Amino acid sequence: MRSAETCLIDAELAAFLESPVMIIVGTGIGGVPEIGRGLGASVEAGGGALHLIVSAWQWPQTVSQARANGAIAVTFARPTDYVTYQVKGQVDRVAPLTPALQDRAARYAAEIVEVLAGLGMPPAITAPWRSRRDLVALRIRPRQVFVQTPGPRAGQVLSSHTA
Amino acid sequence: MTIPLSALDPCFDGVVPSILCTLASDGTPNISYLSHVARLGDSQVALSNQFFSKTSTNLRGNPRAALLVVDPRSGTQHRLDILYRESVHTGPAFDRMAADLRATSEQLGMADVMKLRAIDIFDVLDVRRVQSEQEATPQDRPSSQGLGRALAVTEALMRATDLGGMVDAVLDALASAFGHEAALLLLHEPARGCLVALGSRGYGASGIGAEVPLGEGLIGLAAQDRRPMRVGDASRLRRYGAAIVASSEQEARTRSVALPRLPDAMSQIAVPMEAQGRLQGMLFLESTRRLAFDAEDGVVLSLVARQLGLAIALAEAETGEAAPLLPPRGAEAAKGRAVQVVHHAQDDSVFIDHEYLVKGVPGRLLMWMLDAYSTSGRIDFTNREIRADAGMRLPELKDNLETRLLLLQRRLEDKQAPIRLHRPGRGRIRLEVEDQLHIFSDRNQG
Repeated sequence: MRSAETCLIDAELAAFLESPVMIIVGTGIGGVPEIGRGLGASVEAGGGALHLIVSAWQWPQTVSQARANGAIAVTFARPTDYVTYQVKGQVDRVAPLTPALQDRAARYAAEIVEVLAGLGMPPAITAPWRSRRDLVALRIRPRQVFVQTPGPRAGQVLSSHTA
Repeated sequence: MTIPLSALDPCFDGVVPSILCTLASDGTPNISYLSHVARLGDSQVALSNQFFSKTSTNLRGNPRAALLVVDPRSGTQHRLDILYRESVHTGPAFDRMAADLRATSEQLGMADVMKLRAIDIFDVLDVRRVQSEQEATPQDRPSSQGLGRALAVTEALMRATDLGGMVDAVLDALASAFGHEAALLLLHEPARGCLVALGSRGYGASGIGAEVPLGEGLIGLAAQDRRPMRVGDASRLRRYGAAIVASSEQEARTRSVALPRLPDAMSQIAVPMEAQGRLQGMLFLESTRRLAFDAEDGVVLSLVARQLGLAIALAEAETGEAAPLLPPRGAEAAKGRAVQVVHHAQDDSVFIDHEYLVKGVPGRLLMWMLDAYSTSGRIDFTNREIRADAGMRLPELKDNLETRLLLLQRRLEDKQAPIRLHRPGRGRIRLEVEDQLHIFSDRNQG
């Protein structure tokens, strides 16, 4: 049994979330859902929180909804083999990017463009998904992590706060 | 709605995965990729329901969902507000999506995982374009280009005067009209539930005689469903058979010819050839370019394939009428080396000096002529006598004799066999035998 506070995101999962994977973001307010894309993520030491980088210019509703009620779901999918995890949690802070997160966003953008190009998606086609205007960091307190790799384990809870 | 749904058609090709977001009753979002979205008319979309049950549960509580679709040519994203209406398990829209899904998942090797249970129908409330600083310009073709291409190919077909000429004319004209690297033309073999390659362009080996079972791969699935199927980004697909190199040993061992492949194919399209309500064969085009074939190409190729289907049906019917009776001519005794011809009645496969030649109806046809050649030295035949012979009265041959003779003729040329087939005139067939044949068959020995 995982200890709720410390290990919801263990080192292995953290490494995956910080690797060049596709990041899609779900929020919602007043019963209306919204979709956005993330431009990199960084897991805090100990795995208790996750910083998700989002363009507030390209995805204004995502950021304003996260700010308003904090409810968020983020799916991380590796394009090469479809390994996928969904993290559900609560945004407790929306902040400008620290220098470290700026580096992270730049590195993520450079890496994911390579991965996608390697799969035959030309950089010019994937560039419109990665606006770098008005980047903000959503600090997410994860509540549950689900396996969503297509297959028999899809939808299973990987780890969860039970308290 | 500011943007008409039909303007988003390239987004529904299943190249870039779409994204769906729903909300649980407590407002918790759920976000996932989904492989297939189809447009139903001007105001609805259908989503393939292979969802994790969370999405389905959410939609029953709150039917509002957000959908993000991507134009694979430009990367442009569109955000759709949609409202869940119903799930359906039958009907034309379900069948179309099930077929699309089979085509993709089979090639991903995930056919079992991705079996379609239902499609979910949504009303589209709003369509918004997602803003972006950078946008690639789609390399749009002028919309009139399709008809021009269809005309160019059918014109070449119209000028051809015999069956072999038609096949060559269409394959050549397609290559110049579409600029793809490789193409295959396959015949439907209903008795054996497969398709057999009759001609090709752009592959190292011709592949004539190679077979594709109905329902297998893009060609087999499109044939089974009798509708065009496209793949625009094969980088997602598992590479089948890349290592299989066509060789005589391989052919002899498997009694089959390897299906030729374009190793770096990114785009493929398979289109059924039909006439008089029957599936006659398939046209298959491959390209190393991403998104080489669009929905319009599917329409254009369907027109071409039907025209070719009719032309073949006409050629079959015409030669059936025009069979001339010739005085039988004896052959001069062949003087070459001794060559062994072996026939296996079980599948009508024929081997020449241990090398696999052909099987099925073309094999049976060859043996029928070789029987007459070996017993009475005949080399001239008419299609009428083939049709009339009791042993050859096969349902498969009734409307297909000419195409099968062409297949046999081309395969003999491909193998540089010491037996060749010629067509000296309408309805006439002449055998040319260079070497001394020693013919063995395990058919009713007594």
